[in-house]
Order: sequence, then C-alpha cells, then structure tokens
Amino acid sequence: MAKKLLLKLLVVVATITLIAVGCGNDDDDAAPAEPAPAPATEAPAPATEAPAPEPEPEPTEAPMDDEVIAAFVFVGPVGDAGWTWAHDQGRRYAESETGATTLFVESVPEVAEDFRAVVVDFIENEGADVIFATSFGYIDPMEELAGEYPDVVFEHASGFKMNDTNFGNYFGRMYQPRYLSGMAAGAVTEANQIGYVAAFPIPEVLRGINAFTLGAQRVNPDVEVHVTWTSTWFDPAVEGDSAAALIEAGADVIAMHQDSTAPGLAAQEAGARWVSYNSDMSAFAPDAFVTAPVWNWGPYYTRIIDAVAAGTYSPGAYWGGMDDEIVALAPLAADVPADVAADIDAVAASMVDGSWDVFTGEIRDQDGNVVVAAGETMDDGSMLGMTFFVEGVVGNASP
Amino acid sequence: MIRPVLARRERVLPAVQAFAFLVGIVVALALGLILLWTSGHNPAEVYERMFDSAFMGTDSLSRTLERATPLALTGLSVAVAGSMGLWNIGAEGQMMAGAIVATGVAMMADGLSGPLLIALMIVAGVAGGMVLMVGPALARSHLGVSEIITTLMLVYVAIRVVEWLETGPWKDPESFGFAVIEPVPEQAALPGLFGRANIGMLIALGLLIVFWLAVSRTAWGYELRLAGSSPNTARYAGVSLRRKILTALLLSGGIAGLAGAVQLTGSAARLESGLSNGYGFAGIIVAALALMRPSGVAVVAFVFGAVQVGGQSIQTLGVSSAISDILQAMILFGALVAAVFFNYRIRWTGPAADSSGDQSEEPEEPEPAEDAA
Repeated sequence: MAKKLLLKLLVVVATITLIAVGCGNDDDDAAPAEPAPAPATEAPAPATEAPAPEPEPEPTEAPMDDEVIAAFVFVGPVGDAGWTWAHDQGRRYAESETGATTLFVESVPEVAEDFRAVVVDFIENEGADVIFATSFGYIDPMEELAGEYPDVVFEHASGFKMNDTNFGNYFGRMYQPRYLSGMAAGAVTEANQIGYVAAFPIPEVLRGINAFTLGAQRVNPDVEVHVTWTSTWFDPAVEGDSAAALIEAGADVIAMHQDSTAPGLAAQEAGARWVSYNSDMSAFAPDAFVTAPVWNWGPYYTRIIDAVAAGTYSPGAYWGGMDDEIVALAPLAADVPADVAADIDAVAASMVDGSWDVFTGEIRDQDGNVVVAAGETMDDGSMLGMTFFVEGVVGNASP
Repeated sequence: MIRPVLARRERVLPAVQAFAFLVGIVVALALGLILLWTSGHNPAEVYERMFDSAFMGTDSLSRTLERATPLALTGLSVAVAGSMGLWNIGAEGQMMAGAIVATGVAMMADGLSGPLLIALMIVAGVAGGMVLMVGPALARSHLGVSEIITTLMLVYVAIRVVEWLETGPWKDPESFGFAVIEPVPEQAALPGLFGRANIGMLIALGLLIVFWLAVSRTAWGYELRLAGSSPNTARYAGVSLRRKILTALLLSGGIAGLAGAVQLTGSAARLESGLSNGYGFAGIIVAALALMRPSGVAVVAFVFGAVQVGGQSIQTLGVSSAISDILQAMILFGALVAAVFFNYRIRWTGPAADSSGDQSEEPEEPEPAEDAA
C-alpha cells in the first residue's frame, strides 16, 4: 500500500515537474524577445512620458536607474472599495500621470518583520526609489528602514514620525468632507437620530464624529448623533451588528469610520440610510447610500514621485484638505434637498478658499463647556489631539 | 459497508518522517506550479525568488530565523500540552499576556541595565503566559472543562486588554494622540546575532533541547505521555492526572508567554495589538506537523519560517497576496498530508466490523519520542 502510494506521488511529481520545466523554458526563450526599456537620459525634469528613441541597445540586466520606481505597501487587499482601494486608485493615477513604474503588495501585517521583508525586497530586488506605506502600524520599522536606506524616500500615511532627509508623513483633513456628509445626513434624517459606528477612541475618529455632528446640526439643530465603539477597522460582522443595533434604538441614518460595507447593508435591510467612508460605496447599498467623505490620494502621490524624479524631494508632515483635493465628498443621493446641496457646495467652497473651517466657534463639548470661543478657529495641534465630543453627540469619548 | 480507517503504523523511522515531510512539500510545490502558471506567473522565477529570499545569503537566512524563533516557541508550547493529549489553542493570547507583563516590568524598571532588564522581562513574559493559563488549567484539571474552548476565548481577552492599554492607561503621551504604547527601552533590545536574527533564536533552541530531553528521556516526560495516552494506566501507576494536567498546561502557557517577551524585546519596538501576528495560531500547525514532538518543532518552525518569508517575498514580484497565501497553505497542507500517510495506514474495515470499540481513532501510543532532527 505504502509503496504504491509513494509510487503514485512520485509519478505525479515527475509529471508536473516535466510540465513545469517545459513551461519555464518557454518563458526563458521568450524573455530576450521583449523590447528592452529605453534608458532615459539623466534629465532634471520630471520623468518624460514619451519613451525616448533608443540610443544604443545596452543589454543591462539591472533596471534603469533614472526612472522612478514607486512601491506601495498596503495593509489590506485592494478589493472593490475602501481604504486600500482608494490608495490603489491613487497609485494608478500617479503611474499614469508620471510614467513611473509602480509596485504594490497587499495585506502586509503591521508588524516589523513582515513590513521589513516587503520593503527590503522592494529596495534590493526591485530597485524601488520611494516607498509609500499606507497604514499607521508601520511606523516603527519604517523609521528604522529610513535610517538604513538613506537614498530611498519613505512616505508614511497617517503617521507622525519623519526626519530631515528621506522620511515624511502625509494625511488629509478628512474632517472637512465629514462635515459636509453630516449636512447631507442631517437633511435626510426624519427621526433626528443618527447612528455612528465608530472605530477606536482616538483623535482622528473623534474629530470625524464631531465634524459630522456639527455639519448635521448646521442643517438640523435638533439632530443627535449616537456613537457605538467597535474596536475594529475592518470586521463586517461586528460593524454590521453595531449598525443594526443603532437602527433598532431609533436611528434612521448610519455613519461609520471602518472599512467594511456591512453598516450599509444593515441600513439598507432596515430601510435606513447610510453615509459610507473611504470611498464611494454607493454600489453596495444603493437605496441606503446618501454620500461619503472619500480619499483621493492620486495628486499627492504624483507630486511626491515627480519630486523624487527631479531630485527635489524634501520630507514634510503633510495634512492637506479640500483645497488640495486629497479629501472630497462623493456624489449626493438624489433625495438630498436642493437647498442643502447648494449649501454643501457653498461650505465646500469656503473650505477650499480657506475662509472658513469646521472647528470655528462657538463650539461646546458634551458637558456644555465652551471649547472654541465664538469667532475663533481651533489650531491644528488641538485638532490632532482632540479628546472630547461636541454637544449633540450621545456616547462616551473615552470608553 | 466497507469503510476506510486510519491506523497508526507500528514504527516509523525518523528518516522516513523527514522524507515524508519533504515529499509533501515537493508535491505541494508541484501543484503550486499549476496555480502560478494559470495565474500568469513564471513559476521558475517565483520559486527562485522564494528560495533565494528564504535561504540564500546571511540576510535572507536571518529573516527566516527571525520568524522561526516565535514559531518554534509557540510550536513548543502547543507540543508540550499536546504530548499529554491536551490542546492549547490559545498560545496567541498567552503570547500577548507575556508581552503585556513584560512591558509592565519594562515601564517600572526602565533604569536597569540591558541584560538585567531583558532577563526580568523574559521571566515576566513566562509569568504572564502562565497567568492567562491558570483558569483554563484549573478548569480542565478539576472540572474537566475543555481547554480548547477556554484557551481560545482568552486570546480575544488578551488582545482586548492590549487595545485598552493602548487607548487608555499606557497611551504614550508623546504620540500626538495616536493610540500607541511607549516603545520598549532601548537597552531592552535583544542582542543581535547576524542580520535580523537575535539571541531569541538561541533561547528557543535551548528550550527545545531542554524539553526534548525532558519529554523523551525523563520519568516525568514518560508519565506525561502516559497520562495523555492512557489515563487509566497512568492512574493505576500512581500518576496524579490533575497535577500532570496543571503542569503541562501551565508550562505550555509559560512558553507561549516567553514567545511574547522574546518578540517584544526582539523584533517589535513596542507592545501593540498586532504583536502576536498569528504566531500563536501558527504554533498549532507547527506542533501538529512536528507530531507534538519538541525535536520536530525546530525543523518544522524553520521550514514554516522559510515558507512565510518566501511567500511574502514573491508578492513584490507581483504575485497577489491571495495566491501567495494559497501557495503557503498548500505547502503546509502537503507536509501535513504526507505526515499522516507515512505515520498511518489505511485499513479497510469489513461489513462485520462493529462500530463500537474498534481502534479507528486509536489513541497515541506511549512510544518514545524519536529525534526527527
């Protein structure tokens, strides 16, 4: 019996190996036939899009040195929507705008050994010139690697660390489109009760809830925003259940800070409405969808890749807003009243021209204390360290 | 009705087991060719990258060893309980518990010199892992509550505790409001050996040798295996089952806690909710592939580490993470299937066979653990 089995296994192995060898040879034969990429001349200008006429057929095996290779590390699968999908859209946009080669790896855990392995491979094997890491948890190994590879540019989304030469961070003022989405939600709620499926009690999330609430109150002063915490960034079961529970408790609009479409599906099933996040998720729950505050990373990626190509890169702590188009509002549902839609446009315009921002007084916290005096606007430091809920939010900001 | 049953082979030589392991991997790689081919990749290039990134050069090797270290420790943790027929499914949580207590020690004693602090943190890690195991161990030994359920459920408790510490009492005041715990003091970093490998690897190796000797060469180890395979015989021989269950589970928890402390002082910069990174769960596979023997854990952990490094690396070639995951799973599954076929044989039971009392699920014999390495 054992001998027979072993024999069978060996036959299978042998057969498949033979097939593989044949296949491998085919590929080897095909390889030289591919046209070699034209080595571009050392131009200070951003990468030229048109391939230069081949000056001399230099059969170098290494990738060209002067074309920028940008590598992206994603925390989740690209999928059809959401945080990583939005980054991947940005990658595609930047690739077509700059002509750079872009690479990516999906679903890289936020631990040192995983992140390092991917980045070191990108640099050593693929010749990456710039690394975009798109999740907060990469922060520590990223800082180390930036020190180890001073000639490679490291850009970290949502982080706070940087150096003076090759390591910067970037994020967007998502609270601005959050406010606009709150206006739309405030207009469509009939119960004057909105449920907010919140991720973790950190300033970024609190800022979003507060901005959303202020926006809703602008069009509907009676509105209340009820918050539940899921302690998840992506867990459809938990997030869907939380949305269902909020609807059960009386909410007829659901907003969220996680990456799943589950709250939208729960809303649609219950006949409630939904404000999604990260990307336009209208296709997943078209009846429930109201709008969404969304990311638009393409222009930023294009700028960085251009700067790396031109040798003019210098790291910063970038926090762009509506004016830079890094954040935006998805199209509104048809039933958002025209006057509210017009108001949303006007408010968006004031954010773009810088004449007004969300956290402009007078703003009170849940206990009625004035946190921003009338006529004043909160500075970036206070916004980045926000720990309170504004009046009108029902829930605990430090659970 | 004739039906197949698995019967354990009388005696399988270690060399045969090692061979089985290799055959399983080769078959899986062969099947993987089809997967890569049909998904538009050049299998030769992919396998070359996989191999190179895991083995070629000290840097690659060090990455494999860096991963093999926690896998060996969690694998040993599961194997220690497994050698008595117990299933510690919660090594992931005990790792976290170990890292939590070790972090607490580092916060209180950050003025200490490096070696002393590291030693303290490692002891704290062991203690943390054991603490999380006290409940399941007592419930199992005194009430007969399945340790599979209790250890698994405590995983989520441990991870939630880390999340609470991150957003609450241990939040780093210098993190601009981000929910992170302050980094481990610099002097508490485990000294490196070469590349990414650190002395955590030697700790794991030392522990594997100790437990290999203890389980296979001592009276204590014999009693442990006896208590697992035939409790009645053990009881008749005067072995206290309760004490054996307690010791095996607490040791198992302690080793997983140690893995957490090693990970914290080795590869990680700080305690975070992703620190355990699935190593605890992977330890179950490692232990199963090693047939619950400490001696096999070392080999399996090394191969598992290489598969993970290689699998990660081919993604930079453009292989999607899904394909990479399938490939990794196929390799491990291939090894497991081969191990089953080489250690058991299929026996066809006739129509007369009574369903009760036959040895279809023959419990593990108390045969001496052989060195498969």
